Amino acid sequence: MSLKRVGILLGKEFLQGPKNFIFIWVLVLPIVISLVFSLVFGTLFTEKPTLGVVDEGSSQLVAMIGELTSVDTKEYDSVSEIKQAVESGAVDIGMVIPAGFDSSVMQGEETELTTYIWGESLAKNRTILRVTIANLVRESTGQEAPVEIEVITLGDEVSIPWNERLLPLLVLMAVFLGGLFLPATSVINEKEKKTLEALVVTPTTIGDVFVAKGLLGVILSLFMGTVILILNQAFGVAPVLLLLLLALGAVMAAELGLLCGALIKDITTLFAIWKLGGILLFGPAIIYMFPQIPQWIGKLFPTYYLLQPIVEISQRGSGWSDIATNVFILAGLDLILIGVVVFALRRTRQFAV
Amino acid sequence: MNLRIIGALVAKDLSLFFRNRFFTLVTVLGLVVYMVIYFIMPKTVNENLEIGLYAPVILPVFEQMQEEGLEIEVIESEELLKEAVIDGQYVAGIVLPADIMESFISEQKPRISVYFASDVPEEIKDAVGVLIRELAYQQTGQALTIEVSEEILGPDMLGMQIPPRDRMRPLFAILLIMTETFGLANLISEEVERRTINALLVTPVSVKDLFAAKGIMGVSLAFVQAALFMVIVGGMSRQPLIILAALLLGAVLVTGIGFLIAALSKDMMSVMAWGIVTLIPLFIPSFSIMFPGTVTGWVKVIPSYYLVDTVHRVANFGAGWGDVWLSLLILLGFDLAIAWIGITALGRRAR
Repeated sequence: MSLKRVGILLGKEFLQGPKNFIFIWVLVLPIVISLVFSLVFGTLFTEKPTLGVVDEGSSQLVAMIGELTSVDTKEYDSVSEIKQAVESGAVDIGMVIPAGFDSSVMQGEETELTTYIWGESLAKNRTILRVTIANLVRESTGQEAPVEIEVITLGDEVSIPWNERLLPLLVLMAVFLGGLFLPATSVINEKEKKTLEALVVTPTTIGDVFVAKGLLGVILSLFMGTVILILNQAFGVAPVLLLLLLALGAVMAAELGLLCGALIKDITTLFAIWKLGGILLFGPAIIYMFPQIPQWIGKLFPTYYLLQPIVEISQRGSGWSDIATNVFILAGLDLILIGVVVFALRRTRQFAV
Repeated sequence: MNLRIIGALVAKDLSLFFRNRFFTLVTVLGLVVYMVIYFIMPKTVNENLEIGLYAPVILPVFEQMQEEGLEIEVIESEELLKEAVIDGQYVAGIVLPADIMESFISEQKPRISVYFASDVPEEIKDAVGVLIRELAYQQTGQALTIEVSEEILGPDMLGMQIPPRDRMRPLFAILLIMTETFGLANLISEEVERRTINALLVTPVSVKDLFAAKGIMGVSLAFVQAALFMVIVGGMSRQPLIILAALLLGAVLVTGIGFLIAALSKDMMSVMAWGIVTLIPLFIPSFSIMFPGTVTGWVKVIPSYYLVDTVHRVANFGAGWGDVWLSLLILLGFDLAIAWIGITALGRRAR
């Protein structure tokens, strides 16, 4: 194998890559999915009811509402705006605070508060918001709660927010889309266009070509994995360890990509296999999303040994000693896969060296 | 136009389509996966906060508080209450002290213990705290001087909320319809690239026959799948004719888009590239149904809005022709415009 030739081939891959749809796809898709997931699961799936407010005077209730943790609040400028927001479901209840509301309440006068309720709002949200409004009005008049509340937590289950549950899936997508698809499509394209045969009649060996294509996958996969961890604020705890894990994951992805490239005839078949084979790669991430599923099942999937250490480090603050065993298993799987790729190359007559 | 020729062309295209393993797999798998996802999602919406209460003394306000959205159930002992909270039967378990009434009378603040399972989100804990304080205010006779007037906007769905899976029905239907765009566009683009389209045009097949055949094939593939899905998931239980009309118009829309993509693409990769760019905006209106209030009025410029809005209103609220005729008319307008653009672009490419 010639390092110089591998370097030249790699340079060619990087130059030609951006013209290819798959190249752009693996760069853009994980970022778009990450942003969409963080929007959908970070804010939209929250169970908090939403209260909209229009203040026709300058009530202190508005500031008090803003400090609430049990509900989300949105302010509007006019009654028509808040009615529109309620009708569209942007808020569960819209409240109109009339001018002079605070002073009327302080003086004990009967005061009317107009509320608009979204017809599709859940009953519990309506109740929470009603008692919240009543509580706020009482607090604004200086009424003191007649009880003290002691909160006692039972059990040791930890509530994992959805945006955290999805992180493993995002990391796997970032690592495997680039790492697997780029080498695979690149090899298949060359096979389809017969350019691979042209290449190997030069001093370039099939090994040089595969190493260059594999390196392209590893570099892009490592880059995308890092970007996704940074975007999800999960990179800061132990960056060196995380980089090591992402690199091992990227190697695994590139090896699988090369294997697909060696064995598959056309892009159509690659996509068809990806549709079914994807579950083997993303299985541990899906299992992690649902704590009700026995977590040991995840260990049956090879990508578990990449995911588990990443989750341990980025979400639980673990160190090397907690993840060492799984990292060694991951490295072992990488070595086995190298052997499988070489074996597949030797067995495939088309690539016989 | 020659119907026999069109029939032969449709049969040939269908056979070519299903010969492509990728698109056959995506077609069948897509339909099955959407159905599986639909059926494993919860079919009901739990609207209530279920709270357990252990009260050694009778406290009328706490025990009789059965407002909408709140279910308070009295439990015999604190131990049973703790077990029920851990098991997830109740979101919270309230324990009232035995001397609570004496404390209220002597104007002391009694301490109320509230048990939560450890995976209960903070906002629920806060909300239960607010609720308990309000009940305590009422129990101690502290009046609220405000009168709250309430007006419900839109149909009041209390007790008959739409489950998330039914909110997702329009998304599933549109996903199924849209997937066909890839297949149709790939098929046409291959014909153009391989010049078989030119070969066809030197036979008695006219350009009109050709486009009619491609159109019929695209519309049937998209429409049959979406209609089948809607039948199986119960989306046709109300006003099936309107749903069928909407899906048919949706299928025409994606066929027009398929023509356009085919005109721009050279191979399957570019079909995928253009397809994704074109289809992402078409999915956006589905999100306004799944997450109400997240998308503002601009969504109405996207043609698929009129498809998902119609399907949502008809399947989930029982809207009739009078409610949705305008949406269907606008969708038809988009169909004609996009189909014309697609056919024109493809005609130029084929030449």
